[in-house]
Amino acid sequence: MQLVINAFIAGSLAALIAGGLAFVYGILGVFNLALGQIALIGGYTTWWLYQVHSVPLPVSIICGMAFGALVSWLIFEVFINPFYKRHRFLPLVTTIALSMILDAVILMVFRERPRSILPGVKEQISGFGITISPVQIVMICTTLVFLFLLAYFLHSTSFGRKIRAVTQNDIAASSLGIRSGLMHRIIFIISGVLAAAGGIYIGIDTSLTPVLAFSLTIKAYAAIIAGGKGNIWGAILCAYLISLLEQFAIGVHWFGTFYISAGYQQTVALLVIILFLLWKPNGLFVSSSRKA
Amino acid sequence: MKKLFSIGVVCAAVMAACSPASQEPVKIGYIGPLTGDFSGLGSDTLNTLEMVVEERNAAGGVNGREIVIVPADGRCNGSDAASAAQKIVNVDQVDVIFGGMCSGETLAAAPIIEVGEIVALSPISSSPDVTDAGEYIFRNYPNDALKSTAMAGYFASEEYTKVAIITENTDFGSAFRDAIKAELPEDVVVFDEVVEPGTKDFRTLVTRLKDLDFDVVFPNLQTPANIAAFMQQLREQGLEQPAVSHDVADTAELITIGLEEVDGMRAINVPSVGVGTELEAKFIEKFGDPVMGIPFVSHSYDAVNLLIDALIAADLDEELTVRDYLNDLEVYNGVVGDFSFDENGDVVGISYALKEVKDGEWVTIADISIDQ
Amino acid sequence: MIQFLLHVLVISSVTSCVTLGYNFVFGKGKILHFGQLVQTMVAAYGLWVPITQYGQPFFVGLCISISLLLIVTLLLSWLSMRLEPDGYGVLSIALHLIIIAIVLNWNSVTRGALGIPKIPRGILPSTTFGYAIVCVAVLAAWVFFLWRVDKGSFSRNLSALSENEWHAQSLGVSRARVHAIAFSIASGGSLISSILFSPYQGLLTPSDFHFPQMIFYVMCVVAGGPGKLWGVLGATTALVFLREGIRFVSISPSYIGPVQLLLFGAILFISVWIRRDTVFPKERKI
Repeated sequence: MQLVINAFIAGSLAALIAGGLAFVYGILGVFNLALGQIALIGGYTTWWLYQVHSVPLPVSIICGMAFGALVSWLIFEVFINPFYKRHRFLPLVTTIALSMILDAVILMVFRERPRSILPGVKEQISGFGITISPVQIVMICTTLVFLFLLAYFLHSTSFGRKIRAVTQNDIAASSLGIRSGLMHRIIFIISGVLAAAGGIYIGIDTSLTPVLAFSLTIKAYAAIIAGGKGNIWGAILCAYLISLLEQFAIGVHWFGTFYISAGYQQTVALLVIILFLLWKPNGLFVSSSRKA
Repeated sequence: MKKLFSIGVVCAAVMAACSPASQEPVKIGYIGPLTGDFSGLGSDTLNTLEMVVEERNAAGGVNGREIVIVPADGRCNGSDAASAAQKIVNVDQVDVIFGGMCSGETLAAAPIIEVGEIVALSPISSSPDVTDAGEYIFRNYPNDALKSTAMAGYFASEEYTKVAIITENTDFGSAFRDAIKAELPEDVVVFDEVVEPGTKDFRTLVTRLKDLDFDVVFPNLQTPANIAAFMQQLREQGLEQPAVSHDVADTAELITIGLEEVDGMRAINVPSVGVGTELEAKFIEKFGDPVMGIPFVSHSYDAVNLLIDALIAADLDEELTVRDYLNDLEVYNGVVGDFSFDENGDVVGISYALKEVKDGEWVTIADISIDQ
Repeated sequence: MIQFLLHVLVISSVTSCVTLGYNFVFGKGKILHFGQLVQTMVAAYGLWVPITQYGQPFFVGLCISISLLLIVTLLLSWLSMRLEPDGYGVLSIALHLIIIAIVLNWNSVTRGALGIPKIPRGILPSTTFGYAIVCVAVLAAWVFFLWRVDKGSFSRNLSALSENEWHAQSLGVSRARVHAIAFSIASGGSLISSILFSPYQGLLTPSDFHFPQMIFYVMCVVAGGPGKLWGVLGATTALVFLREGIRFVSISPSYIGPVQLLLFGAILFISVWIRRDTVFPKERKI
């Protein structure tokens, strides 16, 4: 049971980042390999405001996410926009370059020392064979609230409908007067905000170090590949699934002989990617756009 | 701080240039991970080097000759360390080398250093392979075999028959794990897991530990921050078993991060290293908390001072080389203890103590003797 | 100084062998993947583990290495046919990370993070000068071989496939065969590197195969001009010399790392910008 809770904690984090990424990938077909760095930027900004300047925590968090949004917008203008119309893959390489540059900036400003937004041990609540801290409960709930807000936004506001229109068919949407360029930017910024939220999450739960970025990105990609291209809910669900898998698959004596040691924990996400790509290249939950 | 240091270097250089007996400065090369995932280790060791060089320069340098540092980035991997060695040995032509730090760096740089016939003294490389790395390669970090003997002996004396080991998969952690497993009887190790370097989330492992029957847990991790995180998560889940670790744990930072969760934790380390020493206070004043912990700083401190002593002696005596000095060294009274080197360049003579966190401080509670 | 330059020459020659092979797959064939280091890792560990850990002669190690390499190569080319390019790129990253995880954790065979020390040089020269000569000679032979291939029909088939798959296939170009051959060429580069580089360093550790090294290869191909033999050769040499040459610029140690990252990130970005039309070509409409 504790394992399930652990999975929820880790999964919420992955879900935040994967959700935004699925959006971007589904619509723009663009890979953003600098996503982990955006998450870190959000987390570090919050840390800086809260720990260094004693700005109240809720304000710090909001500012962290706002800054993540700003950075995402800049990234779009410089690293994505000039390239993705030529070919979908160019941003893959440019965002790799971007991730190196952002890593450098983060290192220079924040150094290698781990930074924690809420340091110290958190009090625990125990019951039903599980232990969890109030902070973690808050975080999981906040994540779920976020995701529900996203759902509401997409399905029940006119803005959201425009975005969904662009998702289904870019050109048709433009012909109806929807400014797809603006929509693309908004989508990208949303993914940045979600990533920043993820980074803040890590900063609160454990601590931030510059080297975390890459594994975050990989986990998010595992989730979206499994969830299906462009399917946000599939991606989010798969994020939780992968976390569950990671928790349960390790240390168990499979078939009495085969033992997966803890060193392979990260590998589980990777194997998921591979298996899905081979077996169901379009993901678990394929949403086809309406053709007519 | 670095600005002051470089101004100081410039002034010293100017003064040296003006003085009648001006001589060539003495160059100490440095190979370590200045960038990359282990840059914390690099910054700690380089800072220690700078601190000691500044002290010794103020005390007259090497017979009046100024000591200059030539840093090179090894990035904790072989090919960069080899390039670094090539540069400082063949281009800069340093007199001695302080480094490599990661064992991989030392091993890759060794052939180049051997050809260059320059002494390299590593304060940290712990892999057993470093023993035969070469005649010019020395290290003042004890071979893991010794420390693990001490730890195994301690476990036996406390009658711990079920030991759980968690290792961070770096060359430092791996080497120690192999050593301790070799020392402990077969069925004593009931839990032996290796985690990715940098892991901070041990919850899965702790959950599995909950269902396991064990007497003591040994977090074999690379940084005090990780050990503190592990202890927090361990205690959060209600596991009360004692925890014993090695020198990485014996730092003030562990207590700062871990707070009351690490109370009662024990560590086996060299006696005079750790909290409350003058060295630690000096370092913290200059550079802030060390990223990787004070033990590496202490070993570095001794290593650099010893190298400078050797340089001074070799400078005065035409016949004596730095290598001879280190080989013939009877005993060196350092911060980590009184030590010398065996014929392979490994350090001998360092004894161990058992320490415990009591009331928010590391306290030595016993000496641990090992037969060597 | 000469010693240092010779040392860098060794590194750049060996790296060029790999990037030139990779150039065929990624540069010419426009098959985006990050699996080159997977091939190199398999080749290196497949070659040296039998020799050092199990005492086998060189020839046996070579056979094992080539067999493993073939399996990986065929796997990669099979996957390249089955998957969409997006998925393939991500999958190759996943493969790379998995192989590293296996190497790190399978201690009994690979010695994990400690690595395998004392890789013997065998018949290879023990001086840097001699070694540099051997490496440059091997590189020259490899370049000659690739140049001949470049002029041949295989290369034209590869280009045709990359421009328009369907049209090429309708003309009789077998995609499976062409992909397999392309990946085999790349694996040749990996094999050369594992034979030459590990004995030079004397040490084989997983830390030589981390992902940033793969990015470096991508950089070499993009900067040199995807598909251009001499371009990639020049770019690789220049970038390796640049990377080692930065050691001579005196930057405060706390900034060396970020500055290097910034510099190479900027180089990659600028190269992609300049080559944005050639890295992944647009289909010629008429």
